Amino acid sequence: MKRSPTQSAPAAPPNGLSGKPSKKGKNGRAGGGSRFYGVPLPGVEPGELSGSLIVVEGTDGSGRSTQIALLTEWLESEGFAVQTMGLRRSFLVGEDIDALLAENAVTRLTLALMYGTDFFDQLERRILPALRSGLIVLADRYIFTLIARAAVRGIGRDYLHGLYEFALRPDLTFWLNVRPEVAFDREFKKSQTISYWESGRDMSLSNDLFQSFIRYQSLVKGEFEYLSKRHGFLKLDGEKSVPEVNRHLRQRIALHLGIRGTRYKPSHALAHLWR
Amino acid sequence: MATTTPEIRVAVPPAPTSVAPPKHSYPGALVVVEGIDGSGKSTQLYLLKRWLEFSGYRLHFTEWNSSPLVKSATRRGKQRRLLTPATFSMLHAADFADRCERQILPLLHGGYLVLADRYIYTAFARDAARGCAPHWLRNLYSFAPVPDITFYFRAPLDVAVNRIVAGRPKLKYYEAGMDLGLSLDRAESFRIFQERILNNYDQMVETDGFVLMDGTLRVNKLQKLMRELLAARVDMSRFAPKKK
Repeated sequence: MKRSPTQSAPAAPPNGLSGKPSKKGKNGRAGGGSRFYGVPLPGVEPGELSGSLIVVEGTDGSGRSTQIALLTEWLESEGFAVQTMGLRRSFLVGEDIDALLAENAVTRLTLALMYGTDFFDQLERRILPALRSGLIVLADRYIFTLIARAAVRGIGRDYLHGLYEFALRPDLTFWLNVRPEVAFDREFKKSQTISYWESGRDMSLSNDLFQSFIRYQSLVKGEFEYLSKRHGFLKLDGEKSVPEVNRHLRQRIALHLGIRGTRYKPSHALAHLWR
Repeated sequence: MATTTPEIRVAVPPAPTSVAPPKHSYPGALVVVEGIDGSGKSTQLYLLKRWLEFSGYRLHFTEWNSSPLVKSATRRGKQRRLLTPATFSMLHAADFADRCERQILPLLHGGYLVLADRYIYTAFARDAARGCAPHWLRNLYSFAPVPDITFYFRAPLDVAVNRIVAGRPKLKYYEAGMDLGLSLDRAESFRIFQERILNNYDQMVETDGFVLMDGTLRVNKLQKLMRELLAARVDMSRFAPKKK
């Protein structure tokens, strides 16, 4: 068995996914170099990908999905076509993962690889075609959540980075950072309970749901701190108000896409999110 | 014979020692058979299993692609032809991981003799023939324990392909490698695909220490040889029934 403990950082970055912090090039692309971390997928010509991939990462309760909905509306009002992606949304295995999660019978490695399958199916069938057509892809979480979740369960970082080496490098990666206590508050308000997986109960951290949630989210957050340095995340305070976080996101995205004004007021349909 | 130029890389480079996991240190033992379809490997493993069962050995048999957890996804992907080389490979790895974590590893810990009909080398040979990067595949499966012995059953391409084509009314889409666009004729596509896989297997004989078995030998002769080679490599008394 080859699994390095999660706590120790690998001495050198594995092939692919090298941890260069964000250096904004002329087009604002993080990392500057290739669009792929390692070798591109078979049959993909990086030059033909004219769209932009913008990732919003953050734990449950960080306001991610709200911001994605608002950004979609804003970008469309600016004349950009948007495609979204997220976890468990692939046609191939999205529902199968739901079923595995409901049963709690799945082991960590199988689950990590099923999430990987879900990711690559969306990459090949949703993201790449959209980018070829010049769309903006807004990702509601990306490989970083998958890496962080698996890493806190003891699967080696090198292994995980190798797994995702033919993922596409995002143009911008935002991290909506909130304290676990705040995330708990928001999640509990939303659904009046805390789910098995969000509180990491498969890890036997605590029998108390609150304690389990806080410990689990703290572990994931620690992994994100590491990934943030390695991949140059744009870190935002997710505890600020929705309009304020949204303003920061719009400013940075506008810079990347060459949009002049960043004025935006949500439509009636989304007004309830603006608080 | 089709003249399609194979533009996909089929070579599997030597396993880098840093990636290959160390030999396992469990009390059990892992015996693997590998080879292309029609090479006779499953027949031989079946005979070995029956012989050991008759004699009362502690063993468990496991085969490729049989985990119920992932089965529905695999079936849907194949039926609707949704799989790309990457997702085909990942889905099979997820399936294997389930079997590894829930069967193979606990059994090895528990001191069983585990007989595996196909193992990670099937993925290395087949998925590389689909165009997946060999180093990516090696990493993907680096959690798997290294077998105590891997029998590689090798039959000439014509022999193996004829055994399969004669016995099966219709080759399945992915089985025949139709997703690669090698040929519109299924039998022809199957043949080209198997040839690539065979080449990939051949290159692993040295790097992964396969025990080469001549699949054209008579069945009973081959089985006798297999039993001898196994006894020479693995201390079988560990799994033998306790004598009173």
